[in-house]
Amino acid sequence: MNRMRLHVLALGAVLLALGVGGCATVPVKPWQRERLVDPIVAFKSEAREDARKMKTFEAREGSTGGVGGAGGGCACK
Amino acid sequence: MSPRVALTLLAAGLASAGAAPAFAQEAADEPQVAGTLARWFTDSDHVSVRSLSGDWAWPLARNSALTFHYNNERVLIPAVSAPPGTQEAIDAITTASRPISGNAFADFVKQRNEVEGEYARGPAAVTYYVSSESDYLAQQVGGRWNRDFHQQSVNLSLGSSWGWDEIAPVQDDDTNTGDARKTTLHWNAVMTEVVSPSLLLRYGVEYNLVNGLQHNPYRNVYAGGTNVPERHPDTRQRRDAFVRVNQALPNRASVKLSYRLYNDDWGVTSHELGSRLSQYVTRGLSARWEYRWYTQTAADFFRDTYTSVSGIGGYLSGDYRLGELSSHLFGAALRADLEAFAPTRTFVRRMTLWVDLERYFNSNNYSANVVETGVDFRFP
Repeated sequence: MNRMRLHVLALGAVLLALGVGGCATVPVKPWQRERLVDPIVAFKSEAREDARKMKTFEAREGSTGGVGGAGGGCACK
Repeated sequence: MSPRVALTLLAAGLASAGAAPAFAQEAADEPQVAGTLARWFTDSDHVSVRSLSGDWAWPLARNSALTFHYNNERVLIPAVSAPPGTQEAIDAITTASRPISGNAFADFVKQRNEVEGEYARGPAAVTYYVSSESDYLAQQVGGRWNRDFHQQSVNLSLGSSWGWDEIAPVQDDDTNTGDARKTTLHWNAVMTEVVSPSLLLRYGVEYNLVNGLQHNPYRNVYAGGTNVPERHPDTRQRRDAFVRVNQALPNRASVKLSYRLYNDDWGVTSHELGSRLSQYVTRGLSARWEYRWYTQTAADFFRDTYTSVSGIGGYLSGDYRLGELSSHLFGAALRADLEAFAPTRTFVRRMTLWVDLERYFNSNNYSANVVETGVDFRFP
């Protein structure tokens, strides 16, 4: 097993631990989430921008991903 | 399916949705939103891209929604100041694709049109995407599903897509690559958690299996004392894992941090760190500062110079994106929700305006500037 696979496995273990840890905490009530839907905090408000940026970076660098969505063709390659 | 048929079907679907306004009255609490965006990209190689796009989100009955995206891009790649086949001409070609044929001393301009539609109902959604340009047609179908857990504090999203690209290089005096195909199978699993009243956490993994033509059909590589067409492997497995943290701060501010680890079977491994700091300047007006750092290793078969025309294991690359690379991005943005400035103006108060400036540069002596400006409108 090469070193890279070990890194990926380690990161996966951390993410799994985060998930288990999240489920172990007391859920945040809906009326406590006002700050989380603010556009400067929420994930949703920057989703389109993140997708656009991913395409720009894909055209200039050798990797992809990070926004949880699928890629596609791009004229700027 | 031809792009014309696909676009017709998509347009028919959108039209039928538009013909059912009665259903929209039963829709969920999300408003109908239309947005438009203008974007200008220029880089140190004088390549420029002008984008004009529109987005539309329409909530429908029975917890469903339709979204539509359109984008038109005009790409200008400057003239090459040397005859086809010379080393100077090859060096002048940037990562942007252009053929060298006949008169290479003229600017090369091409248009790209992109359409994407999504229908979501409850926890599931299906998407169709098509992108068309003179030498490239990309299509993709996808689906995703998500579910809440733990009293809606945790959300799991699973997504997959299948893309198929038709590549038809235009006349090129150097390489003469024939028509080719490329397919991409993608899947992702993403978890989002509400950790506290001020902290959001998202993390996930993604996988892409790419088959088909994956090198630039117009690029030559100097190898063994001569110029030979670039040649990359036909298969590439790409995977990444990422984590993002959004933290609301006191005094109406927030900080967003992200990290991504990427690896593929060509030997490229990369790390990406991102940060964004946002602050309300006044009610309805926010400013944002952004910094991103990126580094990657080289692909196994990438070399600065090749001593043999057979390259490394039969592959040759002149694509700097497959070499060692690091980059930085600095950005600043302003966003104004006009409801705060004109609460009694029926039309104006439904608009949000924003402008975004970015400066990107990497270790390959490459830099780029991006200017974006847009407006979103929330319908009654």
